[in-house]
Amino acid sequence: MRKLISIREFPIFVVFVLFYLTAGLGNHQIFTTSGLHDILFGSAIVALLAVAETLIIVMKHIDLSIGSVIGFSSYLIGKNASEGHGLFFCMSIGVGLGLLVGALNGLLVAYFRLPSLVVTLGTLYLVRGYFSQVVGGDFINSGQVPKLLTSMATHTFVKVPLLFIVSLIVALIVGLYMRNMRSGRDLYAIGSNHSAALLAGINVAHRTFWAFTAAGGIAGFAGAVLLARYGQAQANSGLGIELNVVAACVVGGVAIAGGVGTVYGAIIGAILLQTIVLALGALGVSQFWQGVVNGALLIAAISLDKILSMRSVRTQIMRKVQHD
Amino acid sequence: MQEVLQIAGAAKRFGGVHALIDANLTLYAGEIHALLGENGAGKSTLLKSLAGVHQLDAGSIRLFGRDFNVSGTRGSQDQGIAVIYQEPSLFPDLTLAENVFVGRQLGKGLKVDWREMNRRAGELFVRLGVPLDPSRRARGLSIADQQIVEIAKALSLNAKVIVMDEPTAALSGSETERLFGVARSLRNEGAALVFVSHRLDEVMELCHRVTVLRDGATVATAAISEVDIDQIVKWMVGREVSELFPKVASNIGETILKVEGLSREGQFDDISFDVKSGEIVGVAGLVGSGRSEVVRAIFGVDKYDSGSVEFLGEKLKRNSPGEAMQRGIAFVPEDRRQQGLFMPISILKNISITMLKTLSNFGLVSRSQELAEGEEWSRKLQIKFNSINDSVDRLSGGNQQKVVLAKWLSTRPRLLIIDEPTRGIDVGTKSEVHRFISEQASRGLGILMISSELPEVLGMADKVLVMREGRLVGRFSAKDATPENVIAAASGAN
Amino acid sequence: MISVKNNLKQLNQNLTWDKGVGILLVLTVIFGWVMTPDFASTSNLGFVLQDIGEILIIALPMTFLIIAGEIDLSVASTLSLASSTMGYAYRSGLGFGIAVFIGILVSILCGAINGFLVNYLGLQSLAVTIGTMGLFRGLCFVLLGNQPVNQLPDFWANLGSESIPHTFLPWSVVIIIPSVIIAWVVLHRTRVGRWTFVTGISAEAARFSGIPDKRFKFWLFVATGFMSGVAAFVYTLRFASASPDSATGYELSVIAAVLFGGVSIAGGFGTMWGVLFSVLELGAIRSVLQLINFTANALQMVSGALLLFSVALPRVIEMLKTRREARVKPSVTSLTSSRSV
Repeated sequence: MRKLISIREFPIFVVFVLFYLTAGLGNHQIFTTSGLHDILFGSAIVALLAVAETLIIVMKHIDLSIGSVIGFSSYLIGKNASEGHGLFFCMSIGVGLGLLVGALNGLLVAYFRLPSLVVTLGTLYLVRGYFSQVVGGDFINSGQVPKLLTSMATHTFVKVPLLFIVSLIVALIVGLYMRNMRSGRDLYAIGSNHSAALLAGINVAHRTFWAFTAAGGIAGFAGAVLLARYGQAQANSGLGIELNVVAACVVGGVAIAGGVGTVYGAIIGAILLQTIVLALGALGVSQFWQGVVNGALLIAAISLDKILSMRSVRTQIMRKVQHD
Repeated sequence: MQEVLQIAGAAKRFGGVHALIDANLTLYAGEIHALLGENGAGKSTLLKSLAGVHQLDAGSIRLFGRDFNVSGTRGSQDQGIAVIYQEPSLFPDLTLAENVFVGRQLGKGLKVDWREMNRRAGELFVRLGVPLDPSRRARGLSIADQQIVEIAKALSLNAKVIVMDEPTAALSGSETERLFGVARSLRNEGAALVFVSHRLDEVMELCHRVTVLRDGATVATAAISEVDIDQIVKWMVGREVSELFPKVASNIGETILKVEGLSREGQFDDISFDVKSGEIVGVAGLVGSGRSEVVRAIFGVDKYDSGSVEFLGEKLKRNSPGEAMQRGIAFVPEDRRQQGLFMPISILKNISITMLKTLSNFGLVSRSQELAEGEEWSRKLQIKFNSINDSVDRLSGGNQQKVVLAKWLSTRPRLLIIDEPTRGIDVGTKSEVHRFISEQASRGLGILMISSELPEVLGMADKVLVMREGRLVGRFSAKDATPENVIAAASGAN
Repeated sequence: MISVKNNLKQLNQNLTWDKGVGILLVLTVIFGWVMTPDFASTSNLGFVLQDIGEILIIALPMTFLIIAGEIDLSVASTLSLASSTMGYAYRSGLGFGIAVFIGILVSILCGAINGFLVNYLGLQSLAVTIGTMGLFRGLCFVLLGNQPVNQLPDFWANLGSESIPHTFLPWSVVIIIPSVIIAWVVLHRTRVGRWTFVTGISAEAARFSGIPDKRFKFWLFVATGFMSGVAAFVYTLRFASASPDSATGYELSVIAAVLFGGVSIAGGFGTMWGVLFSVLELGAIRSVLQLINFTANALQMVSGALLLFSVALPRVIEMLKTRREARVKPSVTSLTSSRSV
């Protein structure tokens, strides 16, 4: 039992339960399976992106470009589908875009050693700008979305929305990688102590590059999920989602300082954010407070993290008094 | 006994500073060998050469009879030499087992075998006699335990030579005993250990043989059973002190700085002393005894928990270097490059940074006034440079230190605090700096000087304070201070 | 090969980054003029100035922040919040002047919040200002819902679109020009400017030199908030409305402009000339693109590319330099020598 409590994700789970209960008090509908369904459905996309972002944040980096990637990818998938290409082909285009952008980020961060903030800020707008330019006023409507995707959006498996299950599966894959694969563990080492990682012989540049590429690929894949969820895509798709994703990660225990956190926590963080939105609605707070809450939560999570984890211990000079 | 490591004639230069001139060390299997020497004697340079951080300019290192060629710490680890530093650098968020096997995690193919890693790490900890849980995270581990993890890592790499650099500085009595137990058991298994420390009592207790470095060369090697602490001290200190420092007589006046009961948890406790105008107060002690922390707290860069500081009769505000500076205190810090100077910026701008307010008319900095002040002080201190607009990182260590001095003396202070005035400076500039400090004292400036170089402290100070482990343990007037007294107080050899 | 190296070396010494941007600006203007004569017309210049007005205003304090080693991603949200506050206050019946005053107070408060979180709680400015970016933007929607405030007093609304009589200059230059001059003087000629540079190089050494670095950076954030409020005033008048989604993406343009102007993202280096040229260049590029019928979105792309370019280029130069130096230095030989013990 003690071990359960000490897991980093446990307190977040508790907070989620509390908010869920609060939400339910205001609106009993939430306690029903359809209420739970709505929460999971609504958080599926942020959860999936948060999984990708976790790979980056544990290395003490950040990727702000995923919002642009997911938007552009969803459009490309829809556009190609409407032109008659098969689903697999369309998905490849979307994932391919993600991998390309991710590789660009990875190249600049890992090999040019540029700060990931600035790099991904740049690619965010580079991609978004190009996307807007390409799309113009065009948009994908529900009629053009591949049938498979639309049906996935409406189906459930054991009452859990399929779209969420997709996110869950990706999370499991990435999570297993990060926990059990040597190169996955290296990501934590890099974020925990960069210089020691270099000294220990870890190929930091290599790992960093591939992490960014993979994150981009997942974001590209998520384009399909976005398309399925909303049944449409246009120039604004995915705009501003970065804030939600980073908030979900940080709230879910993936510390901005790197080295710690799991994709499972990130998913719980995404669910928690969604629950808070519903809880606020249940309490009669207007939806316009959503942005405020996201921002405040992010700040609170960062502050709490700083206070709780005092990394640098002041040099002990005086011999510790031994109470034997 | 089998000869494991042989260092012969090692030499290393950094710019104008000869860190090593002729260092020799022979290490046998199954011994714990002490490497001693004052700060600046070359110990850390020698260790870094073993660890692969530096390349020697001359001399040879032989490991098991074969040439030891290394670049980068990876190489030295693979060849069997592990260095354990005073403050190990672990990965706080990884488990202990992961820390031991970082970068070489145990497993089949790409997958990590957690069970095997935990088992092997656990075995290592048991072998070392310290029951640590391999599956716990490293964060929060005490320094003593962190060292054990580092030693376990060294063992997992089959290190034959384990070097421990000032390992006991941050340990409690029982943790030190535990570490000694580990060292002894390692030695019994045939490893060769090098123990670097200033704590002579510990050296006498733990080690079999000792090598003393002085000014970059080995001056003595002996069996511990055949020497005593006094002899070791004599080897460490060496030359006659009186010849070196032209001390200018000065009139010692009123008290300008009064420190009472200054304490900061874990760093220093109950520090009280005073400095008078015209007086040079030297603060001696081992590295890590808390001296820098005390003066930083006085100047205000660090905080303190209790006690008081009075300057020129009035209480000095805590934690405000700006205020200290305004009231007339100057502070030349220990680390020139990180704390004392802005390396990419010009000499002129470094000197003027403290004086900008007075150099301004209507808020605008007067370039002509700035230049005049900069040139005046460069002249006074004889700073050698190409152009005053060159960046300071082009200068030699000695000239850089002079820039720091210029920066502070231009504020016309009443008290000058200097932490290691001549560290990493060539001999010629050293005496210039000493002469300058003496002159300032004779003009009425009070000087508070931390120095780890015994001759410097003894030669220049009117009063010598000695600190050990955060406490003031010795107070000597210039007459009474001898190398033996001071080292004895500093290392607690009594 | 050798001549290329020599040429590069000379180029390196004579050509500082800001001069480079200045040259680029001239080239762009010439290019634009060649493409369409309209480009160099006074009315177009007036448009460009209006276009980049707010960006320039905010780029001024942002330059100080980045040189001092920090960053603020929330500036656009602060602008929007200030503007929304002005609109809300006016719509609630307060006089326009008072509404503007309150809006600027709000922007100062935003800056103070950032300053507090970064300097007194010790949080990283990147992460914090991502949070406040969302927070402040969210508050805009709380204030105004989805409804912008479109009714502004005629006098002020007209001021936003008219030019100063007998010139092509928009009224905003009354604010912009003095701001630029003051910013230039403060950065390059006063103690505050010196403190900014040294704090960016090493906050630790700054502390050891008696500079109250935390308090100083706090006020830099406050100044950034204030200027965002001033920019909000200009913005509100220009569009004659206060809308909760104002200035989206402006933070990118500001940061891209500052970095492209030669200010190093690592801190400690940069000039105001460079930033000025860079913002003007941004305006020029935007104008050129419009005249060749690119959409506004293309500017985003260009800004993104410029941003990447401005951080990558110094790094590439540095990497080339170290590679060159490594080849020149004699390789370290093995350790053994014939020295006798």
